[in-house]
Amino acid sequence: MSPLDRIANVSILKQHEVDKLYKVENKPAVSSSEQLCFLVRPRIKNMRYVASLVNADKLAGRTRKYKVIFSPQKFHACEMVLEEEGVYGDVSCDEWAFSLLPLDVDLLSMELPEFFRDYFLEGDQRWINTVAQALHLLSTLYGPFPNCYGIGRCAKMSYELWRTLEEEEDGETKGRRPEIGHIFLLDRDVDFVTALCSQVVYEGLVDDTFRIKCGSVDFGPEVTSSDRSLKVLLNAEDKVFNEIRNEHFSNVFGFLSQKARNLQAQYDRRRGMDIKQMKNFVSQELKGLKQEHRLLSVHIGACESIMKKKTKQDFQELIKTEHALLEGFNIRESTSYIEEHIDRQVSPIESLRLMCLLSITENGLIPKDYRSLKTQYLQSYGPEHLLTFSNLRRAGLLTEQAPGDTLTAVESKVSKLVTDKAAGKITDAFSSLAKRSNFRAISKKLNLIPRVDGEYDLKVPRDMAYVFSGAYVPLSCRVIEQVLERRSWQGLDEVLRLLNCSELAFTDMTKEDKASSESLRLILVVFLGGCTFSEISALRFLGREKGYRFIFLTTAVTNSARLMEAMSEVKA
Amino acid sequence: MDCYTANWNPLGDSAFYRKYELYSMDWDLKEELRDCLVAAAPYGGPIALLRNPWRKEKAASVRPVLEIYSASGLPLASLLWKSGPVVSLGWSAEEELLCVQEDGGVLVYGLHGDFRRHFSMGNEVLQNRVLDARIFHTEFGSGVAILTGAHRFTLSANVSDLKLRRMPEVPGLQGAPTCWTALCQDRVAHILLAVGPDLYLLDQSACSAVTPFGLAPGVSSFLQMAVSFTYRHLALFTDTGYIWMGTASLKEKLCEFNCNIRAPPKQMVWCSRPRSKERAVVVAWERRLMVVGDAPESIQFVLDEDSYLVPELDGVRIFSRSTHEFLHEVPVASEEIFKIASMAPGALLLEAQKEYEKESQKADEYLREIQELGQLTQAVQQCIEAAGHEHRPDMQKSLLRAASFGKCFLDRFPPDSFVRMCQDLRVLNAIRDYHIGIPLTYSQYKQLTIQVLLDRLVLRRLYPLAIQICEYLRLPEVQGVSRILAHWACYKVQQKDVSDEDVARAINQKLGDTPGVSYSDIAARAYGCGRTELAIKLLEYEPRSGEQVPLLLKMKRSKLALSKAIESGDTDLVFTVLLHLKNELNRGDFFMTLRNQPMALSLYRQFCKHQELETLKDLYNQDDNHQELGSFHIRASYAAEERIEGRVAALQTAADAFYKAKNEFAAKATEDQMRLLRLQRRLEDELGGRFLDLSLHDTVTTLILGGHNKRAEQLARDFRIPDKRLWWLKLTALADLEDWEELEKFSKSKKSPIGYLPFVEICMKQHNKYEAKKYASRVGPEQKVKALLLVGDVAQAADVAIEHRNEAELSLVLSHCTGATDGATADKIQRARAQAQKK
Repeated sequence: MSPLDRIANVSILKQHEVDKLYKVENKPAVSSSEQLCFLVRPRIKNMRYVASLVNADKLAGRTRKYKVIFSPQKFHACEMVLEEEGVYGDVSCDEWAFSLLPLDVDLLSMELPEFFRDYFLEGDQRWINTVAQALHLLSTLYGPFPNCYGIGRCAKMSYELWRTLEEEEDGETKGRRPEIGHIFLLDRDVDFVTALCSQVVYEGLVDDTFRIKCGSVDFGPEVTSSDRSLKVLLNAEDKVFNEIRNEHFSNVFGFLSQKARNLQAQYDRRRGMDIKQMKNFVSQELKGLKQEHRLLSVHIGACESIMKKKTKQDFQELIKTEHALLEGFNIRESTSYIEEHIDRQVSPIESLRLMCLLSITENGLIPKDYRSLKTQYLQSYGPEHLLTFSNLRRAGLLTEQAPGDTLTAVESKVSKLVTDKAAGKITDAFSSLAKRSNFRAISKKLNLIPRVDGEYDLKVPRDMAYVFSGAYVPLSCRVIEQVLERRSWQGLDEVLRLLNCSELAFTDMTKEDKASSESLRLILVVFLGGCTFSEISALRFLGREKGYRFIFLTTAVTNSARLMEAMSEVKA
Repeated sequence: MDCYTANWNPLGDSAFYRKYELYSMDWDLKEELRDCLVAAAPYGGPIALLRNPWRKEKAASVRPVLEIYSASGLPLASLLWKSGPVVSLGWSAEEELLCVQEDGGVLVYGLHGDFRRHFSMGNEVLQNRVLDARIFHTEFGSGVAILTGAHRFTLSANVSDLKLRRMPEVPGLQGAPTCWTALCQDRVAHILLAVGPDLYLLDQSACSAVTPFGLAPGVSSFLQMAVSFTYRHLALFTDTGYIWMGTASLKEKLCEFNCNIRAPPKQMVWCSRPRSKERAVVVAWERRLMVVGDAPESIQFVLDEDSYLVPELDGVRIFSRSTHEFLHEVPVASEEIFKIASMAPGALLLEAQKEYEKESQKADEYLREIQELGQLTQAVQQCIEAAGHEHRPDMQKSLLRAASFGKCFLDRFPPDSFVRMCQDLRVLNAIRDYHIGIPLTYSQYKQLTIQVLLDRLVLRRLYPLAIQICEYLRLPEVQGVSRILAHWACYKVQQKDVSDEDVARAINQKLGDTPGVSYSDIAARAYGCGRTELAIKLLEYEPRSGEQVPLLLKMKRSKLALSKAIESGDTDLVFTVLLHLKNELNRGDFFMTLRNQPMALSLYRQFCKHQELETLKDLYNQDDNHQELGSFHIRASYAAEERIEGRVAALQTAADAFYKAKNEFAAKATEDQMRLLRLQRRLEDELGGRFLDLSLHDTVTTLILGGHNKRAEQLARDFRIPDKRLWWLKLTALADLEDWEELEKFSKSKKSPIGYLPFVEICMKQHNKYEAKKYASRVGPEQKVKALLLVGDVAQAADVAIEHRNEAELSLVLSHCTGATDGATADKIQRARAQAQKK
């Protein structure tokens, strides 16, 4: 499902005399229509496609009307390309400032999966403005945010830009009562670890297995146990789903079978009914029961399918390795596990993910492993991944352990010598090398690995770690928890230093007298670069425990595979 | 009080007209008004005089002087007229002076005599010269109508959007019409002209003869015509001294009058109030002024001096050398209150208040009288309304005092009308002041609106007063103070004698961070005046970087624009500047500029990646960024290039770059890739099939699957494939082939580096339990249980686990015990466990 489907599906578009829908790709659109309308993200690639289409028409001597609608905004560069390709005069351009798509009662998505690669890999800041605009929109709708916190370079820039927007257009939000008490902005690169872990909460698992797109999932024949696949909207309105989405997968089956029994019992009630009761039952309850029945069977099908897939890949082994990496023991064993994973060509994306996880948790790979794993990987999955590795290194996802602390030392010396600006540049240049993840130290400091006496009871979770089977509290969520508790970054200096974010964390509090206690329970968490369903589940849990209500705004819902794919270079 | 109505003159039974002085003029006129071209703008606007017009032949060498005065006679501008002879002057609705020259050229001047622009009324006018011209106002703006020497009319209904229209010819017209006027009806401009006893109406397409309804007989010529302010009414003065007054369509007669003066009047204008039933025109001769209406008698005034009439919305202004007066119909509210022996509630209230001030009990009597009639509300309203129409502040005050007094006895009288009137009067009194000289009446002020009034104050450069008014009326800053300050600043930047620093500082001090003020607009103005440095200084104050950039680009300060754009965080803006720079600078300078701006650089790289690959390479080259250069060539080796040689060459370049970047790993990997490519090519040639672009692993697998075991082994050796991988690879491939014999041979070739559990797993995957069992026996002790479970031998697995006394293994086996078949085994394990615990 695409964002467009969520807003105006095919039948609505047809009602408005849209003849046919095409995907924007490098293929000629065979259409006899007199008008073509392109709804595109402002990307140069798309512009070239549009241009080639228009030029092909010109060659064939056809005249059509072309309209290019840029969403969420028009970029000068795109118009430039149209101009360079000589079609600027033939098309008319427009802008559709659409930035927020509500996927669920507590989830807003900007549906910008490219944000991650653009910003964190290419250093392209184009979307920051879009984020600022979206925040501005929210503040015009819900009043000013009395408490703002953020961490990360992008968060800081977005925040500053947003502030400028507010200042320029003040008067609108001034004097309004705030409806949302807190906003927290977080860069994805503050916590890559969480995003790289295998998800075991139901919603996350469904995403990892079937890919949830725009809040909807396509269940194939193996789930529906028929020959057709089924599109299912996954949100709070699906009552069955709503009850299991945040559950650890091990509980889901039990829950579903219990549910099935209850449902059966409700069906069974009709046995002793007289005509009147039966009429009532049929007219009022039956539809609901049938609906529930249908949903139940879908989710049971999904669970079975997940089980099958996961056991096949020796999921338990995988999870065990991940936990070992998170906790930092048996590194050698884990490394050979990864090596075997690569040798067996299990999955290029999975192998890459494990390598990254190993690198981040260990502050980079030791040079020997760095080389051998990469060699193995290239041999298994193709030499073009040399570029992928270069990307991962630049993003700080897969790095080589620096011998000692030499680089950071050089860096600090340099920054003392030259001006800040130049130092910033040098830091940028070194960032991939110097940016140490320090995961182990952070983990200790923030107590991310819960100490468990005996079995962790996944049915009755004690903390957010339940989303990873009790082995690990998501770093991002822990940071949010800590800051909300303190209402500032105070006392987290050491953590910030370890996160390389000393300069990049901010708190902005205004007087709270106008904010109602109701609004202060509401927290908008903004993930720049995407968030996972596990993080959402963890924060929902935190909300229940502490009496908060979280609302999520993300550039896109992501997971480990999407992150890795964004970093991969595939042959054109 | 007795004399208050002394200047009231009754016209008929129902209306009074009064004339009062606005200003005593102290302009130092050297000439008589009659010797000048005169134009006075409505709504208390300025007066323009052009002395020494050309119709007098004397002293042609002396250049005439164009002078502009405020309504109170304060000089605003004076300039020597250097252009051609002027036929007519007039003011546009924006208070710009239009000077129509004989040749049809129209020069436009500002209030302060600053030349604005000029336009021409067309060739036809140029050839035939202008005989007469009128400036008239329409709902679109101001129009110009021209009567040419050929007795044809040309007009434009809106001078700011000039469209010339040549009106149709009047058939049989020999001489100039005796009188004519421009009419505006149904949003279309017409011309009405009189030729002898005939009247013609010219519209766009046709000329039609018209006859006023009910016109008295015996008229042989029309001497003067007057259109009312709103174009609704028309008055005609005939050579018999008869005046016809009716609607502008001429289809209805309102009234007529015979004044028995046959001399053509100098001026004739309407004098009526909006929403009043009374209609009257004021006719002026050399020494006589007459107000005529629907009454047998007229009101007559003697004019001591040469005077000039200015029609207004609600009356007529009359100015002469020494005075400036206003003549109008007394408004109803005033009439009710001040009429002698009036018993109107307002009159009583005014009386009551006066008695109250005198501490007389009569106050109570009057008040009771009003209250008994239940007319107190009406009385208060009357007093408020009448106050608005009074010119003298003392009268305004006494009426407002009365209103306020009356309000005390009312329970719920909404205060707005009173408050609003007090505010309005304060504003009106301020602008009527001699120094400002805008004698607006209350009705005119309401019609004009405060926004336009502020504009006019700004136009007169009366910034402080305008700001005071805004603050006093508490207008929103964006509409009020900020707008005025912005105008002031734009005026300020034009002061060329003040240094850039001083101007910039002065402007910033005044404007500060006032919302709604755009520094970039002011800067643009400064740039327009040729003060680039000042513009840059002003832009520094602009808080929105996005606003700074376009102007900086326009001023060719591209580098500054670039850093501002980067500051703004708006990538699109940065990009706009980049493209500008790219065209402006030579390549080397452009790259150098980029080098200092990492954000711009990465943006440009993005663009190049898709659009200009060669430039991207140059960029990397310039920065000695060999790593990226290497990646660039690798990417190139995959793009489009089909020929293997080309690809290998690209890879070679990449490898070289990687060496330079000291990235030996990448260099080696690239070299391996080159080798592999060549080899794959050879394989394709020799064996057929598809090998190109497979990974090494897949290449070897393909070879094994194709039965080329030797080649596969050779390849593995050449590329130093580790043993573990090779074993996995072979194992999988052979199992896929289901070549169990070969597999067994392979398994026995030497000790497996990956153990034998994988053999079991893979065989089971191919559902070959028989083969799997073979290998299960060879699995090492640690994995034995697992292997046995894999082949489904639960019982034996249990035995091994018990033997190992390994708790984890025991539970693993137990979890595999299903149903009745494994019941015995399960028991066995339980027993073993129990035993273990005992120990």
